Amino acid sequence: MDLTYTAAEEEFRSELRSWLQANIPDEWQRPNFWESLDDDESFRLRRDWERDKALAGFAGIQWPTEFGGRGGTPGMKAIYDVEMVLANAPRSVNPLGLTFLAPTVMAIGTEQQKKDIIGPLLRSEVIWCQGFSEPGAGSDLAALSTKGVRDGDDFVVNGQKVWTTNAVHGDKIFTMVRTTPGSEKHRGISMLLIDMHQDGVDARPLKQMSGASEFGEVFFDDARVPATDVLGAVDDGWRTAMLLLSFERGASGISQYTEFRRQYDEVVAVAKKLGRDKDPVIRGKLARVLTDLECLRLHAMHVQTEVELGHDLGFEASMTKLIWSEPSQDLWEVFDDILGEDATLSELSLDSGGSEDITALHAQAMWSRSVTIWGGSSQVQRNVTAERVLGLPR
Amino acid sequence: MFFALTDDQREFDGAVRSYLSERFDLAAVREVFEDVSGDGHPASLWKAAADQGWLAVTVPEDQEGLGLGLVEAQVIARALGAGAAPGPWRGTVLAAEAVRLAGSDEQKAAWLPRLATGDAVGAFTLRGSAPGTLTAVEYGGVADVVVARSADGLVLVTGATATPQGSYDGTTRLASVEAGAGEALPGATAEVIAELEARATVLVAADLAGIAREAVSRTVAYDKERSQFGVPVGSFQAIKHALADLHVAVTLAEHAVLYASYAVDAKLDGADLAVAVAKAKAGDAAVAATAAMIQYHGGIGYTWEHEAHFFYKRAKRLAGQYGDADAQREKIATLTI
Repeated sequence: MDLTYTAAEEEFRSELRSWLQANIPDEWQRPNFWESLDDDESFRLRRDWERDKALAGFAGIQWPTEFGGRGGTPGMKAIYDVEMVLANAPRSVNPLGLTFLAPTVMAIGTEQQKKDIIGPLLRSEVIWCQGFSEPGAGSDLAALSTKGVRDGDDFVVNGQKVWTTNAVHGDKIFTMVRTTPGSEKHRGISMLLIDMHQDGVDARPLKQMSGASEFGEVFFDDARVPATDVLGAVDDGWRTAMLLLSFERGASGISQYTEFRRQYDEVVAVAKKLGRDKDPVIRGKLARVLTDLECLRLHAMHVQTEVELGHDLGFEASMTKLIWSEPSQDLWEVFDDILGEDATLSELSLDSGGSEDITALHAQAMWSRSVTIWGGSSQVQRNVTAERVLGLPR
Repeated sequence: MFFALTDDQREFDGAVRSYLSERFDLAAVREVFEDVSGDGHPASLWKAAADQGWLAVTVPEDQEGLGLGLVEAQVIARALGAGAAPGPWRGTVLAAEAVRLAGSDEQKAAWLPRLATGDAVGAFTLRGSAPGTLTAVEYGGVADVVVARSADGLVLVTGATATPQGSYDGTTRLASVEAGAGEALPGATAEVIAELEARATVLVAADLAGIAREAVSRTVAYDKERSQFGVPVGSFQAIKHALADLHVAVTLAEHAVLYASYAVDAKLDGADLAVAVAKAKAGDAAVAATAAMIQYHGGIGYTWEHEAHFFYKRAKRLAGQYGDADAQREKIATLTI
């Protein structure tokens, strides 16, 4: 058993920590700071900051140096994820590009695609969206109907994508498009890399139940994409998508634990302010969540071990999604139980007199309802776990 | 980062499991289970435990032990749970741990080699106090020495009268022990007793994790084969989702037990939390998995002939030992609120 990081990894941690301390303005740490900005201003600030971070060498931690990455270890990536949480760093503006697209391009992209895509993505010069879900194709991705028809050197694309993160701030979108007319299910689909700055593409925000608009919908109306901008082979997009989604397991559960454990402490603080911390029912509920969060931390250590040993985790990723998403949601249900009949109030009335604004906590509670849907719903993850991990018949 | 069993530890695990599957399978467990008046202490299994080092695992090498730790001990405990194996293994290991951590040199010399080689059977309890009546002592009826609480700490009790106590968990025999004053273990401070309780709790949690995994594996295997409405019942989503959830819960319980065993051995900060998490998670997982084992076998799962009740009953008993899941959660609350 060795639960430590190497000296080189700890050295990396202190370098990163120093940079973060020096480069996150105090003002950004103020409660509700990001909520006080309009969406465009928030995005611009975060985009510039993420570019500066990349230029300082703190991006693409595990990417090979030939792609502008740091060539670091899986341990450094885990440390990076944790330190970003501890520093309360701004959320990435390019999560889908960084997590999914870049490693896929490194694996199967053409030399020109590697050159054109990876560097600008790393420096936040190009923000990438993911065009997978459609109104008629959610969990059943293979039901997608957005069409691409070959016209000279281009494909001409028509259709609609939805639940697209950063839709209104995106520059390009990697999109699953049916390029063989009349094809069914996972056949005849290609992964097209579409420029969103053209007349044939219209991105609109969607307002979430939390009130924020982090995602949107994207309409294609005779959008044009050069036939060279296909990732992987034409009509082989399903395989490209499966490869792309396999990179999700690169996300570090140790940092998720760090974030949720901080949220747990915030919820406990509210319970104490209301004198609810002595209620045995609340204590039992909190402890149940804490138990599952500790188990998330241990599962993350298991995943990290397997990654460092070079093992393929395969369909275990479906379990990992359940293991982090469900307790993080349970926590916020306990939060509402603590608040009781005042669960919906924006302010906490304190026994000592006075009140405290808890809208940021409510926002996190609302957000938690989404985590068991996006990236494969809990029900899909249970199907995959049952069929692919346990081998139960389909 | 290496959070996993080493090759040596895996080999140990494989050795215990192959012995049980080849030489002491569930048919052998059934003989013990149904022999209500027997001592529940089969000689062949005890000899294997002695010969293969299961008893010597945590005893120091200079006392004829293997000098290994709680990580290795939980490997054995998990395999014994998976086999629903009877016998006083845990009590003997924990009695040796008490002597190792709190005994005088003379006590170590007198007991550790005998416990490590199976020459003496040990029992361990933290319920009640000697002198007095100790209730529900595992294998109190066959123990040569019982480690128990006293007013000042812990004592070694020998020559006590034991009366068998009925229990629906036929994989384990319990006895009421009339303990004399015993012989004090001089090093039994409150800290040492707390560490022994942590070690005992981890070994019980490991048995529970072993039970839980076995229950899920056997149920998955059965539901792949059992056909109703012309299809395997395991193809129904109601069953798939339940088994997926149990698989996740058991996987987490296994992580939690492994980590707790290491945390206690390495004296990590947070070892108390780790032990409580392991016991809460493993206890809940084992009770849920064995109840599901009965349910998802249908009528056959409710019969005496089927083995599901061995696992369910063993899980029920162990889930309550050293604090049930609710008691562990209260400890967790105290540590984190």
